Amino acid sequence: MYPPIFVSRHLTQMQMLTRLNPEAGKVAAPGRKRSASFLRLTALWDAFLVALGSLRQNKLRTSLTLVGIVVGVAAVISVVTIIQGLDNKVATTFSSQGSTVFTISKRPQIIKSREEFIKFNKRKDVTHEDAEAIGRLCSACWRVGVAANVRETLKHADQKFENVNVRGVTPTAMFDIDGRAIDVGRIWTDAEGISGREICVVGPDVLTNLFGGASADRVIGQEVRIAGRPFQIIGVLEPLGSIFGASRDSVAYIPYSTYQKIYGARDSIVVFIQVPGAEQLELAEDQVRTVMRNRRGGLFNQEEDQGFALETQDVFLDLYGKATANIYLVTIGVAAISLVVGGIVVMNIMLVSVTERTKEIGIRKAIGARRKDILTQFLIEAVMVTALGGAIGVLTGFGLAYLIAALIGFPLLISVASAVLGVGVSSVVGIISGLWPAWRAARLDPIEALRSE
Amino acid sequence: MSDATLVSTPETPAVLPAEPRPPQPHDSNSLISMRDIWKTYQMGSEQVHALHGVSFDIPKGEYIAIIGPSGSGKSTLMNLIGCLDTPSKGEYWLNAKNVSEMDDDELARIRNQEVGFVFQTFNLLARATALHNVELPLIYGGIGSAKRHEMATQALTAVDLADRITHRPNELSGGQRQRVAIARALVNHPSILLADEPTGALDTHTSMEIMDLFERLHGEGNTIIVVTHEPDIAARAHRVVSIRDGLIEKDEKIR
Repeated sequence: MYPPIFVSRHLTQMQMLTRLNPEAGKVAAPGRKRSASFLRLTALWDAFLVALGSLRQNKLRTSLTLVGIVVGVAAVISVVTIIQGLDNKVATTFSSQGSTVFTISKRPQIIKSREEFIKFNKRKDVTHEDAEAIGRLCSACWRVGVAANVRETLKHADQKFENVNVRGVTPTAMFDIDGRAIDVGRIWTDAEGISGREICVVGPDVLTNLFGGASADRVIGQEVRIAGRPFQIIGVLEPLGSIFGASRDSVAYIPYSTYQKIYGARDSIVVFIQVPGAEQLELAEDQVRTVMRNRRGGLFNQEEDQGFALETQDVFLDLYGKATANIYLVTIGVAAISLVVGGIVVMNIMLVSVTERTKEIGIRKAIGARRKDILTQFLIEAVMVTALGGAIGVLTGFGLAYLIAALIGFPLLISVASAVLGVGVSSVVGIISGLWPAWRAARLDPIEALRSE
Repeated sequence: MSDATLVSTPETPAVLPAEPRPPQPHDSNSLISMRDIWKTYQMGSEQVHALHGVSFDIPKGEYIAIIGPSGSGKSTLMNLIGCLDTPSKGEYWLNAKNVSEMDDDELARIRNQEVGFVFQTFNLLARATALHNVELPLIYGGIGSAKRHEMATQALTAVDLADRITHRPNELSGGQRQRVAIARALVNHPSILLADEPTGALDTHTSMEIMDLFERLHGEGNTIIVVTHEPDIAARAHRVVSIRDGLIEKDEKIR
């Protein structure tokens, strides 16, 4: 006798009409029924609107909550952005030689243990003859050069400059392979290089420390003493700046023949091989490896030490990555704590909000809000605030990183991924910290809630 | 006890509800049918019976006042009728549904669809407009926004507030607020309009306006239940049920 009003969770419009006019219901009992999923979507959208309304009606509370989450997200985003920028700077710095250069040396640049050090020391030195053989036999190689380094004190008049990297190189193409360019003056000629003359090309730091910062053109032709011998400065290099506090401009290039005259062949040299393009790198490495193995007595057995180290610049990047990974984790972790604090702020304010709005919850329940409706409303409120806070935090974070980057001086990388992550994580924080207050609100007894003031 | 209170059928003879009697099947012709309703609260070690064995019926379209001094159990009865609470014992049938065995969410649904509340202190959302307040039950009823807007506007027009739909409660007079609350109560076309001291916060003149409105709504076919302690207000109803000490003391048709 009564129309089946509660077939679906909600009244359809037709059934609403039935309510208005019971006669109509009997005619059109099946009515027009909306699908369950549509109803769910509508309910969610309505919950969203309800939440939006209540957030707009409580501007002070909303903005306080926002601040909590903005600070947390901004901290994480700025730290991540700065780290990404630093990483990028390191990567570009180390690859200034390009991915077209690799080296042959007696010892690898990174030695992990004493045992390794002993093993590598037993190897034969890499010599100028090795370099010549590589240049002769490696068809994929473009340019081959050698370099030897020593730390030395430079002197001019009564000035001293300690711990300068004195680098003996040949041929002059090594400047190019090293990624160095002349600022003022010139590089030595091949003839000068072979003759073992005492001439040098210095980095800008030498000017600062020995010549009181005199301009480069006034230093050309001046004398500087390296290992007690007088060298004539014929050129000054363009600055490369420093990396991790170590200046790359505290350097003096001298011809390799001169280097040998002073220091003998007492230490192994490093052979630099450059290929015309990255695609030839693998072939060139294979050829060089074959040449070197032949010269080391044909040890093809992988078990035995091949007697030399073949390395690209990637080893630095690998080392950098390993060394900094943990530091970054800790830094991001510390920044993430502020996000947790932000979450607690959200939870606290949501709890206050539930207490403050007990009456409102009572009214809503009295007129038909189910537990789920109240829960959804408070959760959506929490998530909306935190997602919005996350978005503002991401922008603030990028802004902060931009400022810091401008102060330190490195290029900034703004990644969409970290922005999405920032908003995503803060939304999750919103759900987690909103859950308990929302549950408390949903559980309130309507009679008690209505009675509260 | 008037003849109209219980519809006499061979199965359910009209007897005084206050008298102890064996449980009767609910009267399917009544909109509200309460059978031997008990409500017991635990106060420390003591059990307090707010209602002990109340039974009555309300047919569709009746205008009834429930009257009684404070502590009589009338608030408890109102909470039960409004489905805000369930009885400790007994059966409550509302619009052919046994409400007494429902869980929280089912009760919420019944409140949404079958009950329109009007409170003494209006209980409007302070920061929401009149229109939004009236739309609220429809939101929980799952009505789409266009339809909702239309229905809420209609309901506000029906209480002569068509020109106040964008006003917030604090921009309205007490009488206007109560009319917004009445529009909200009626917007879902509930089975009953349940008013708890609807004029308790209003001056005499405004009170009379609200009572006139109730009369009009009753004339339009609505079932109205007014809970009050004021004899003047109760006198406007067509039937008065007096509660004292958790029992129905008197049940009389006055009009």
